[in-house]
Amino acid sequence: MQQDQSFHIGIDVGSTTVKLVLVNSDMAIRWSAYQRHEGQQALKLLGLLQQLEDDFPALTLDDVPAYITGSGGTPLAEPLGARFIQEVNAVTLAVEYLHPDVRSVVELGGQDAKIIHFKGAAGSPERQVITSMNDKCASGTGATLDKCMIKVGISPADVAKIPHLPDKIHPVAAKCGVFAETDVVNLIKSAVPAEEILNSLADAIVMQNLTVLTRGNILQPNVLLLGGPNTYLPFLQACWRTRIVEVWREHQLELPSGPPEALIQVPENAQYYAAYGAVVFGVGETGEVRHYAGAEALQEYLQTGTSKLKRSRLQQGLWQDQAELNQFLEAYRQPHFQPRAFKSGEIVNAYVGIDGGSTSSKAVLMDVQGVLISKAYLLSKGNPIEDSKALLIQLNKSITQQGATLNIEGCGVTGYAGDVLQKALSTDANMVETIAHLRSAQHYCGGDIDVICDIGGQDIKVLFMKNGEIDHFKLSNQCSAGNGMLLQAMAQQFAVPLEKFAEVAFSAQSAPEFSYGCAVFLDSDRVNFQKEGYSREELFAGLCQVLPKNIWQYVVQVPRLAAFGRKFVLQGGTQHNLAAVKAQVDYIKQRVPGAEVSVHPHTGECGAIGAALEAIKQVKEKGYSDFIGLQNSLQLSFSAQTSEETRCRFCDNLCSRTFIDIEVPQQPQPVRHITGFACEKGQVESKEQVVSLAKLRRKLKSDYPNLVDYESRLLFSRFYHVVQPPTAKPLWWQRLKAAPEISKKVDRTQLRIGIPRVLNIYTIAPFMRAYLEALGIQPQQIQFSDQSSERLWEEGSRYGAIDPCFPAKVSLAHIHNLLNKHHQRKPLDLIWFPAITHLPQQSPHSRGSSSCPVVAGTPSVANAAFTKTRDLFTDAGVSYLSDVIDMQNETLLKQQLFDSFSEPLALARHESDWAVAQGLAAMQHCDAELQMRAEKVLHRAKRDHQVVLLLLARPYHSDPGLNHELLEAFQALGYPILSIRSLPRSSTFLQRYFGEDIARGQIKDMLDINDVWPENYASNSAQKVWAAKFAARHNNIAVIDLSSFKCGHDAPSYGLIERIINSSNTPYFALHDIDANKPSGSINIRIRTFSHTLENFCQQLARQAEQQAALTKRVFHKRQQLTTRPETAPDHFNEDLESEQSRLIARAALQPEAQATPLDSRGKKHGKQ
Amino acid sequence: MENSKIEQQLQQYEAQQSERLGLSQKPVHWHDAGLQSITPFDKRRDTVLFGGLTNAHDQLLLATLKGSGYHAQALPTPDNNALQCGKEFGNRGQCNPTYFTVGSLVHYLQSLRDQQGLSAQQIVDDYIFVTASTCGPCRFGMYVTEYRKALRDAGFDGFRVMSFQTEKSVANEPLAFPLSKRLSLALIRALVIADVINALGYRMRPYEVNEGETDRAQAESITLVSRAIAQGRGLGRALKQSRKWLDGVELNLLQAKPKVSVIGEFWAMTTEGEGNYRLQRFLESEGAECEVQPIAAWFLYLIWAERASHAEETRAGQHSTWAGRAQQLKLNLVARMLTGYFQHIAKQLGLHHYKLTDMDQLAKTSEHYYPSQLRGGEGHMEVAKLIQSFRDKKHHLVLSVKPFGCMPSSAVSDGIQPLVTAHYPEANFLAVETSGDGAVNVYSRVQMALFRARKSAEAEYLAQWSKYQPDEAEITTKVAKKRYYPHHVAGTAANAIITLGFSPGSE
Repeated sequence: MQQDQSFHIGIDVGSTTVKLVLVNSDMAIRWSAYQRHEGQQALKLLGLLQQLEDDFPALTLDDVPAYITGSGGTPLAEPLGARFIQEVNAVTLAVEYLHPDVRSVVELGGQDAKIIHFKGAAGSPERQVITSMNDKCASGTGATLDKCMIKVGISPADVAKIPHLPDKIHPVAAKCGVFAETDVVNLIKSAVPAEEILNSLADAIVMQNLTVLTRGNILQPNVLLLGGPNTYLPFLQACWRTRIVEVWREHQLELPSGPPEALIQVPENAQYYAAYGAVVFGVGETGEVRHYAGAEALQEYLQTGTSKLKRSRLQQGLWQDQAELNQFLEAYRQPHFQPRAFKSGEIVNAYVGIDGGSTSSKAVLMDVQGVLISKAYLLSKGNPIEDSKALLIQLNKSITQQGATLNIEGCGVTGYAGDVLQKALSTDANMVETIAHLRSAQHYCGGDIDVICDIGGQDIKVLFMKNGEIDHFKLSNQCSAGNGMLLQAMAQQFAVPLEKFAEVAFSAQSAPEFSYGCAVFLDSDRVNFQKEGYSREELFAGLCQVLPKNIWQYVVQVPRLAAFGRKFVLQGGTQHNLAAVKAQVDYIKQRVPGAEVSVHPHTGECGAIGAALEAIKQVKEKGYSDFIGLQNSLQLSFSAQTSEETRCRFCDNLCSRTFIDIEVPQQPQPVRHITGFACEKGQVESKEQVVSLAKLRRKLKSDYPNLVDYESRLLFSRFYHVVQPPTAKPLWWQRLKAAPEISKKVDRTQLRIGIPRVLNIYTIAPFMRAYLEALGIQPQQIQFSDQSSERLWEEGSRYGAIDPCFPAKVSLAHIHNLLNKHHQRKPLDLIWFPAITHLPQQSPHSRGSSSCPVVAGTPSVANAAFTKTRDLFTDAGVSYLSDVIDMQNETLLKQQLFDSFSEPLALARHESDWAVAQGLAAMQHCDAELQMRAEKVLHRAKRDHQVVLLLLARPYHSDPGLNHELLEAFQALGYPILSIRSLPRSSTFLQRYFGEDIARGQIKDMLDINDVWPENYASNSAQKVWAAKFAARHNNIAVIDLSSFKCGHDAPSYGLIERIINSSNTPYFALHDIDANKPSGSINIRIRTFSHTLENFCQQLARQAEQQAALTKRVFHKRQQLTTRPETAPDHFNEDLESEQSRLIARAALQPEAQATPLDSRGKKHGKQ
Repeated sequence: MENSKIEQQLQQYEAQQSERLGLSQKPVHWHDAGLQSITPFDKRRDTVLFGGLTNAHDQLLLATLKGSGYHAQALPTPDNNALQCGKEFGNRGQCNPTYFTVGSLVHYLQSLRDQQGLSAQQIVDDYIFVTASTCGPCRFGMYVTEYRKALRDAGFDGFRVMSFQTEKSVANEPLAFPLSKRLSLALIRALVIADVINALGYRMRPYEVNEGETDRAQAESITLVSRAIAQGRGLGRALKQSRKWLDGVELNLLQAKPKVSVIGEFWAMTTEGEGNYRLQRFLESEGAECEVQPIAAWFLYLIWAERASHAEETRAGQHSTWAGRAQQLKLNLVARMLTGYFQHIAKQLGLHHYKLTDMDQLAKTSEHYYPSQLRGGEGHMEVAKLIQSFRDKKHHLVLSVKPFGCMPSSAVSDGIQPLVTAHYPEANFLAVETSGDGAVNVYSRVQMALFRARKSAEAEYLAQWSKYQPDEAEITTKVAKKRYYPHHVAGTAANAIITLGFSPGSE
């Protein structure tokens, strides 16, 4: 060290790492260090400081100013004698100092993502610096990457070697870190190669930051990429380059000559910019200078200072006293499992069950009586086929090492990897996890279980039982707060082996009280508590305590646990952690008097056991096994291919598919498993197969109508023919008389108008079309945007500055679709995207008819997005019309539409008013058409004792791009599907369902919902609640309830709908957080579990029908007995039964709906219009 | 056998057989029992619970209700315990004002049951909760649903949540709190006085010489004014005394502090507790002066909205021209009276140069960005306030605080603000979402924006200093004589110099 030089210390304490720089008077970095802190910021920093002091022994403490930055910097500033500066400002100063030519910076940290835009020349008065950070949610940051790297099983050293694979991108949701993990798990379990998964994740992170964090600004060149992930991951850098250059091209930015990718740089020392910037801040500051107090001061702070910190939200640890803890451990500690012993030379006949779980894979061997022989466990290595082979080797070894021989008589699989394993191993059973867990729990804990709670690595499944079958179930959706991964990630952050977690947690006497909820937010609590001086032990205990709250209150949402019974079984891998079990047991026992809580004896292998039990059953029934055999299984090999050749070209989505070809010994052809597709067409490879698939689809459509799909097409088609105004006077005369001020002559037949197919347009599209047609716009000149699809979203997703619900966000992509596809094909003159404040009201007793504020405001948001940097509408020569309209108040509507269109269409007032009337008539036609079809479906279902599914969702969820084509999956299972709009509304039809309520004075009309929800101000929500009431009253209806992630209007109705549905025991399937990406893994579990419930429901309906017939028969005979009337001919008995049935119903003052169908009268009415 | 007897026997037989075959069980349909038999509010028996505004507002409202003969109790400012309770019993996916406020009520009732030993039935019978409610399109219009759901699940089924209804159509609802004209005016008086006391606190606290003096003066004033309101006499004297206490706080206004306008969702920006991470106090601790919209401005917005809707309907022909004009005049008068009363109280308590927002101007300011017909939350106000802040040089930073996932604010206003900031590139604007947890991140983002605000405040102050070049001792003495200065630029200290610079020696 040169004594004549002065030094500055810059420290950056981030969420996952600490960085330290020593800068000399020439502002050169003389020394630097970077280290992951594993949750021990102060301790790791101390290590670095000691290292610095060792390397620079002559560093005079009193003379060295120190500056600190970063999310964990504040509490360390005082003990270190350092001045604090916020990290984004530090980075800004560093970049301004080192790179005056840079105009945009993207820094990805552990939990923070920052974007800085520089406008105007450095030093000029016009200079503007616009900074933005991700919201509190850590989506799109290094933390997500870190967790997923663990999941795919790639070491940090190898990650840096991954090439950039822009053509092998699979859909991953990056808007939420936990959602991303779910998608990554799905990809892993579909055997997609790790490097493709990480490329997909990197691409998703880049897109998330570009669509949201830029706040609608374009990253202007030159761009600097900073932060740990950007520095160390070349494929991430490449993703940035690709995507940013795409944006530049899209916006036709003028760029200097040379390759544009060169304008995006990663500088040397990119990870130290915040620490360096802190020093730049200090050097430029005139205020107080503070001097580095030395490593010793920090050490003293660590020993004594942290105890003085104010600890918020302190609570008791996991136990009150040692005796209580010992008692718990004695009751719940599982004895070590001993595999069964065999004699040398013995042949062991057994069944194998494999559970390809999210983070681990498990397998068991069971004998034909269902007794466990051996089990094997493996943390997933990233590929289910390899994992299964390893498990089978383990199981085989457990037998062969005793000198015995294993003979596998059957094989069952379950879990995320079930499908691929079924194909590879040709298994006897492929069970959905929920049912596998149910069978396993009943096998060990008896048939009288009330609640089964299974906490796996990724999923939480809670099954509520009735008569030994699933009554209803709750599964965590994409958001998996409370799962095993949460504990695993925490353990990793603190470098504690997972099996030591409980020991560490039990050693704490107190704990911080975490706010329960989103897993990502829990981590920000963790950072906060650490700053307050909570120890690792206390944090572990606190996390265990929040787990049951997350399960029961956040995921399952049952505030009154006692209502579900008293016998609880806990299972799933997380129950290995006794600290988590203790928290669960305490939580349940506090709320359920006399609760009996047991832990499954093989808690991690429940799924595998269930699969093995099913295999035993299947083989018994078939009399043989399809399983390829142990030796063949061990010799399986496979290859995966994702390329342009494997891309699906059968629809607009152009899914990037992966073909996994599995070579099975003694089979001539490899077995092909295809993954990565969004719709059913992706599962086939040739046009012929697509044609036969379409045939099948058509047959399904006619057998089991899907009115949601029909509605989504009908709304935008031309089904209503407008009637011209009654006055036959020429237009010039009308103009002269009615609106002489309109002198402009517009040839309306030539005008072309685009309308985005989104949001409330799904309610009023027939109105809009008829309104325009009645004004003389040619039908073919009205152009709706395409249905939402992955492709449409990908092409037009880069305009937004915010992150609302997906239906609102995708609207911008629809405008992009109109401008960049339809306008290019044939020019549009106008895009009409009205801001609809009120929708048609359902009942005269409704309190309001408001539309969702997000939906109403989105046209203005779209206007901002498309005019911010450049007015893209003007550039394209298209007018954009987003005026407000009120669909409930006809007088106002007429005024509003006249105001909007008088100028662009040169309208007279009475023309517009006539067109409004035509629009409203079209809406009535549409409703009548749908209701007529639904009535037929319901009538048939009633007659044939069929189950009908009703979609409880907002009108725009009939867009297949928003409902993830979930309904098609149920249609394929043989269930007709109705939409809310299609439900018949005539009083005669509804009398049967709501007549009694009216008679009792609970409601005033058939559509009134004030008996359950007086605050029914919002139109769509009110319709959902009414439809739930109808479903509850109709014996044949089961319900599918869809809501988009962040839907603020649906949230208040969740509890109401559940109460209405549950009190009538209507089968119910809820998916409340649907978003851009389809979480196919978790959706599959739900569909398969619900279809199991539906099968039971079908049987129940059939049973009821039989009982009803028996009753009718008995009453019929009794009548004969009493009247002593001679016996009628037995051949006519069935007809008599039917008439008897009708009579019974009529006696109960209820009218059979078949007689009440007012089809004719409504048909005539339409004819008149 | 007679036919009627046969039918009777058949009926009995059928019922018996139905039972045997398991067909007799009819499904039970859920109706909200709490809505079926509502005991009307009884002033002599029922205790009125309310809360959710700032401490000053809650205290003065409490005094008003007590002074009018009600048994009343203000709930404590919602904290994290309330949030946890709200999350436990509320629906998933709600915004955090819902969780905080709903949780606060449930938590309080639980404490009545578990700590004071009242039975759940006693609580249901003898207590009511009153809340403001609107038929607006955002979740605020559905708060009462959430209250009912949470109370039901927490074991207080049938607890009466009553609301001041704004819709005429539901004015005669059994769950509407009976509000006389006299009581309405008294409550508005309490809100206005609390608004002024709070505004004074926000102005004074950053510049107080002796730490804690402003809080003491505010607390003493609230106690004294509350007593006068509750006793129904001596309010004038109480206000006078309060002014003395408030004027007695020693200030040093010659400090270049960034002025921050806190806008956003109504509850998130006004609450002074964990619901917004005690944001106002955090800003002050970071050396900023903050300005928060008073409740009176919210009333002005509601009046304006009613006036604008009526005007639109009149233009469409829904009302006659005369009826339309009469309604406009009436609502204008109400707005003017409210503004006049606010200024009267402001003058009495010594709050000078404080203007309530002109709602017509606000609507005009935002018309190219955010249609004023879109209601819900703060409507167009957020966008308009941002424009006014920078166009009129009123603040160095505009901080828009909203609950995580707030529909009108996060999903609409924030989507339009980028267009505003593109047109006003000098705008220093930050939107932060709150969820009750994750304070560290929010503070960090606020610190990020404050850095730039602090620099602008310092530059603005130095510019005025070098322009007028006042004598330091002289100007310090002069500034100390007057507490508030008219608006010229954003910073308080710079305004003092400009005012005194234009008219040296006038004070």
